[in-house]
Formats: sequence, C-alpha cells, structure tokens
Amino acid sequence: MTARAFAGMLQARLYVSRRLVAYSCGCAVLVALAAPAGVTAPLFLCSLLGIVIALDQTPGRHRHLDRCEQSAPLFGRELARAKALVPCIAATLATLLFAATQFARNAPDAPATLLVVPPAVIACALTALSATTRRGATRALYVLLAFATSAGAYALAVIAHNYPAELAFCVIVAFLALRQYGETLARFDPI
Amino acid sequence: MPLLRMRDASFANTTARAGPLTLDLEPGGRVALTFASSQEATIVALMAAGIAKATTGSVFIGDYDPRLQSVHCKRIAGFVPHEPLQLDEGDFPRYIAYRAALWNVEATAAQACARLLCERLEGMHEAFSYPLIGALIATPQLIVLDRPQPAYAAQILRAVEGRALLSTHAHPSNAAAFT
Repeated sequence: MTARAFAGMLQARLYVSRRLVAYSCGCAVLVALAAPAGVTAPLFLCSLLGIVIALDQTPGRHRHLDRCEQSAPLFGRELARAKALVPCIAATLATLLFAATQFARNAPDAPATLLVVPPAVIACALTALSATTRRGATRALYVLLAFATSAGAYALAVIAHNYPAELAFCVIVAFLALRQYGETLARFDPI
Repeated sequence: MPLLRMRDASFANTTARAGPLTLDLEPGGRVALTFASSQEATIVALMAAGIAKATTGSVFIGDYDPRLQSVHCKRIAGFVPHEPLQLDEGDFPRYIAYRAALWNVEATAAQACARLLCERLEGMHEAFSYPLIGALIATPQLIVLDRPQPAYAAQILRAVEGRALLSTHAHPSNAAAFT
C-alpha cells in the first residue's frame, strides 16, 4: 500500500466522521471543565469515545467508502491499518483536548492524563474495531472486551501505580487486536 | 483468452444465495445478465469484480483467482455499485483524489480524465455518473455494473468505450438496453 493510499483512506474516513469527532472533542472539553480530580474520568470517557468512533467504522455506515475500499487493489491488513488509525486519532485528540483543558484549569492531574490515558484509549479502540465486523452477541462481547481493556489499564496504572506494566499491557493488547482485525477484514464477506 | 471466466460459480451464506453461473467474457465484449432478484444481481456483480468470493465453482479475472489474488483481480475489474452517490459538486474533486490515491493513479491525470468523462456523460445524473467516473479513472479492462439505470445506457456505453462490460439486472427490459 502506498503512503498516498493510506493517507487518502484516513482522510476520507475522518472527513465522513468529522461531526462525530467534533462532538467527541467537545464532550471531552466539557467533562474536563467539570471533572473531579484523578485520571478515572478521562480514561473511561475517552475509551468510551474511542469505542463509539470505532463502531462508526462498521461496514454499511458509510456504504460508498466501504465499496470503494472493497473494490480497491488493497490487502485486508492494509485496509485494517488505515481504518484502525481513525478511532485512534480521534480518541487521542479527545484525550489531548481533555488534558489541555486540565492544564488551562491548572489541574494537577493533567500530566498524568497525558501519560496514562492515550495507551489505554488506543488499545481499547483497537479492540472495539473487531466488533465492527461482527453481529449480535459476538459484537457485544468485543465491546465488553474493549471496556475490560480500559479497566485493566486503569487497574495497572492507577490502582497498582505501575505505569510500565500498563504500557506493556496496552502495547500487547493493541498489537493482538490490530492483527486480529486485519485477519478478519481479509476474510470479511461483504454480502 | 477470456477476461472473465465463471464456471458453475455460486455464492451462498446464511442470508444470501446466487448462481451457479457459467460465462466467458472476452476483452472488449459485453454481457448483460438478468436475475430473479436484486440481491442475486448484486452478488453476481460482486463476484465478477473479485469483491465477493465464490463459495463453489470458479471465477477467473484475467489469469487470477479472486480467492487467492484478489488485489490483481481488482486492478483489472472496476466495480460500479447500484446505489447513487450522495455527493455535492464541490466534493467531486475530493472524491476523484480519493479514488486516484486508492488506485495509485497520478492525481492531475485523474482529475483531467474525470473532467473528460464528465463531458462524455453529460445528461446523466451526477449521483450515477460520479461512481462510474471513479471506476474509469483507474483504466480497468473490465467494468462491472450492478443494476445500472437503463435510462443512461447510451451515456454509459459511450464512456466505457472498448472495455469489456458486464452488467447485472433484475428486469429483462433493463438488460436489453445494455446489449
């Protein structure tokens, strides 16, 4: 896949989801203005936003983009990488805006938000992507798994105070989730 | 040698079924197929474009099997969906740039080709002409149309020129316009 095709797909996906991304960022800023201390609120809120934006990539929601991508000479894993970056970018942007609002309020938790939340949000969004190619109970299971990923990251970073373990956990989960999403897209039956 | 070969090709999953179908389409040839349902017409079009994989029988696009070499198949076949494309006129250059990026076509050449095709498809509603233009800028050897509008048959045939053309239809009267 060329960098141009990758950028083209990413740009088109972000363009059709632009309202959702804008609402997510607005929601992050509003909650950051009212949020209590700690990284609990940004971690779980931005994970939820990541899941919502990941589910927006479900085949059929943007039918013409889906058809263009399916008929383009691209491998499943290439499609997966480009599509996976959309919820990651959007959720990370929401996290950055959350942290920026905390900085503006002189909240002491802003550096912790910047450090702890992005890995958890990215791992959560990538896990939720596998739900987009499934239906019914399996879909719900992957959404629950995504929430469980955030909860695991929270337990390691906030309860156990072990940031390297949180980072390692999120990297492993994100790698496995992206790999599985690529394999699922390669086998995906568009009918 | 046929550009598209289907041998007892059929598709079946829990919700949909199509075929079996056998056909040969030579380079520059034209075939319009009629099916009992819209769903079957769409599935056959997707199989002919290498997007859906036949569950039984075989499909070859050029020398390639979509089950193993779908990327090569998609360089040969261009697919035009039935659904109209809801796009503002201002978004058209963006759409062409997107399609050019996916097929790795040089951007300025793609825009010039799109403008030429717009002139050739004059009189055709943009919602139907834009997806066809998007498919044609990649210069595919085979164009697969899923239930095209018979009212625009003359413009479509003019734009497709000497390329092989396969169209699927749900009514025989619609198919007649493309033969």
